[in-house]
Amino acid sequence: MTSETYLRRVAASLLRLALKVTPQDSFAWGQAVLAELNYVEGDWPALAWALGGAVVLTKQAMLSLILPGRRRTAISSKPKLFAKEGPMRKATLAAIGACAVASLLFFLAPVFRQAFQASLAQWHGLADFAPYEDRRPSPELEAVAGLAEQNHDAEGLAFVAMRHPKESESARLADKAVQLDSNLTWVYAAVAVSHPTLPQIERWVPKIEQFDPENALPYFIVAEAIDIDQGLHDKVPKKTSDESPAWKNAMASAFQSPKLDNYLDRLKALDRRVMLRYRLDDLYQSLEDSCCYLYLQPSYSAWDSDRYAQLVLQSGETLEARGDLTSARDKYLAVARFFQMMTSAGVHLPQSNVNVPQEAYKRLQAFSEKDGLQEQARFYASLAARAERAEENDWIASPNRIRDSDVTRWSANLVKTSGVGMFLCGGILLTCLVHVIRKHQFLGPNSPGPGRITTAFGIGGAVGLLLSSATLYTAYRPYAEIFQGYLRTGDESQLPLLSSFLDHTGVLLGSEGFYGDVRVYFWFAVSSLCVLALLLAVITFVAKHLRPRESI
Amino acid sequence: MKTPRLSRQTLLLLERFLDRPSAWRYGYELSRETGLKSGTLYPILMRLAEYSLLETKWVSTEDGVPPRHTYRLTPKGMELARTTFTRSRSRRTTRQPVLDGGRA
Repeated sequence: MTSETYLRRVAASLLRLALKVTPQDSFAWGQAVLAELNYVEGDWPALAWALGGAVVLTKQAMLSLILPGRRRTAISSKPKLFAKEGPMRKATLAAIGACAVASLLFFLAPVFRQAFQASLAQWHGLADFAPYEDRRPSPELEAVAGLAEQNHDAEGLAFVAMRHPKESESARLADKAVQLDSNLTWVYAAVAVSHPTLPQIERWVPKIEQFDPENALPYFIVAEAIDIDQGLHDKVPKKTSDESPAWKNAMASAFQSPKLDNYLDRLKALDRRVMLRYRLDDLYQSLEDSCCYLYLQPSYSAWDSDRYAQLVLQSGETLEARGDLTSARDKYLAVARFFQMMTSAGVHLPQSNVNVPQEAYKRLQAFSEKDGLQEQARFYASLAARAERAEENDWIASPNRIRDSDVTRWSANLVKTSGVGMFLCGGILLTCLVHVIRKHQFLGPNSPGPGRITTAFGIGGAVGLLLSSATLYTAYRPYAEIFQGYLRTGDESQLPLLSSFLDHTGVLLGSEGFYGDVRVYFWFAVSSLCVLALLLAVITFVAKHLRPRESI
Repeated sequence: MKTPRLSRQTLLLLERFLDRPSAWRYGYELSRETGLKSGTLYPILMRLAEYSLLETKWVSTEDGVPPRHTYRLTPKGMELARTTFTRSRSRRTTRQPVLDGGRA
């Protein structure tokens, strides 16, 4: 027997490594190659011996994967040689079982069940080809609807109405809610924003006007409905001046309104009350749908407002050119006042090529200077400068907003990846279990137990499942706590984080920034993989059953 | 009896086994005698064992040293080897005169 050198140790390690993947029926052969290594003369020949052996063992491992039914006559081995095998295998199986049970125990935690639901959100759109209005509401929302109708709970009905994907049902519930409590008339506005093509809007707008006479919102709803109708019938006017009189009247009324209230405060307060009443503590189920965006960007009708303001500004310029300075000044004042109202309502105006409020303030500054009102002119100049800074700040804030959302994007990606990991590892574990049962590897007192590859995959799957579950729980928990805090205290400061997080969880992993129809590519990839799997199955079958007489 | 086709390397190995039919042989010993590398030798040994042409045995050599795997042809293996070599020899002898005659 030769002495141990560095190269020999490398050779032995190589063979031991190959033995780890060697299928059970070839394991003793691997041991045989390893045992002979001690007698090979010379270090380099020993390494060559180990390399050759490792290739043979790896090939056996590959073959057992491709041809799972393939069985080699296992050679007898000394029991003493594998004396350590039994306990080691038992410990491994115990570890697999413990990991699987620990992963399942996570499901006892309600937060984890919510996290699991959130991790599945990315797949919802892929299997759902139905239009939004044909989709069914979540079972939780249906349950709230049923209870609210049963108990004549106006707020519960309003809560469901604002979230229901079906237009007609949403309108019916809103009508019923307002019928029960006229203080909820504002719910019409919220439903009209979600479903702008509802025929009921025509009936609702006068009621909203009567409920809140100073509010510009009902006029914006009318203008938005006209916009959408024009879009649907492909009749969008090229210039704002070509807009229909109805649109112009609605916008003129909005311009004359003293305030804009998009009812966000009422909406949030009602949401909180209903969520607490019906114990809707699931962040994902409670905030996933369209109501959520209203919490963050009250920019509804901002585009219409900007376009109409430009029209008013242009008419002021025309009047000024004609010499009607008083009317021109009124127009500029109307624009300036309107933007003051919009800004105080928190509306983010779109960045068009003309900074309309700045232009209006500049014109008013010029009028004041002409009239010798220097103090007033300075005031308008400061407002114009502020309007310019506001636009610049918007530009600066954009990348900052993106950076802010990086945390939520990463969290959402972690949640989505963990969800995929859970399915993948669970699938591997299940496949191993089915394989073991199918091969009757646990039957009989002298059963050999699962093979090495099955055990390796089993432990990998179990550990992966546990890690994925733990990661999913850890990544989701902070957001669940933020939501619980909001429900308890009404602290809204973290709501943008929740919304951003939910937005990201709904996007299929790896498809962020992709603007095509992800569903098409996804199903194409799935079909291709199925075809490949089928091809592999056919090749395996042919290799197994139609092999020519073998040679040694 | 279903018999596999025998490659040149397998014939080489069988020939070595036939030299001392009753002796148990080590893998490295066979490798040295036939010149076959481990990557070629062991697949052949595995296939021969699969067809029950080869019997295997673990033998302990000395304390603290792992046991060695040894090989010997089974009666079935010996029969196959002998038949193969007899046929091969008879083919050679029947062809020889023709070839010799051809050369002559």
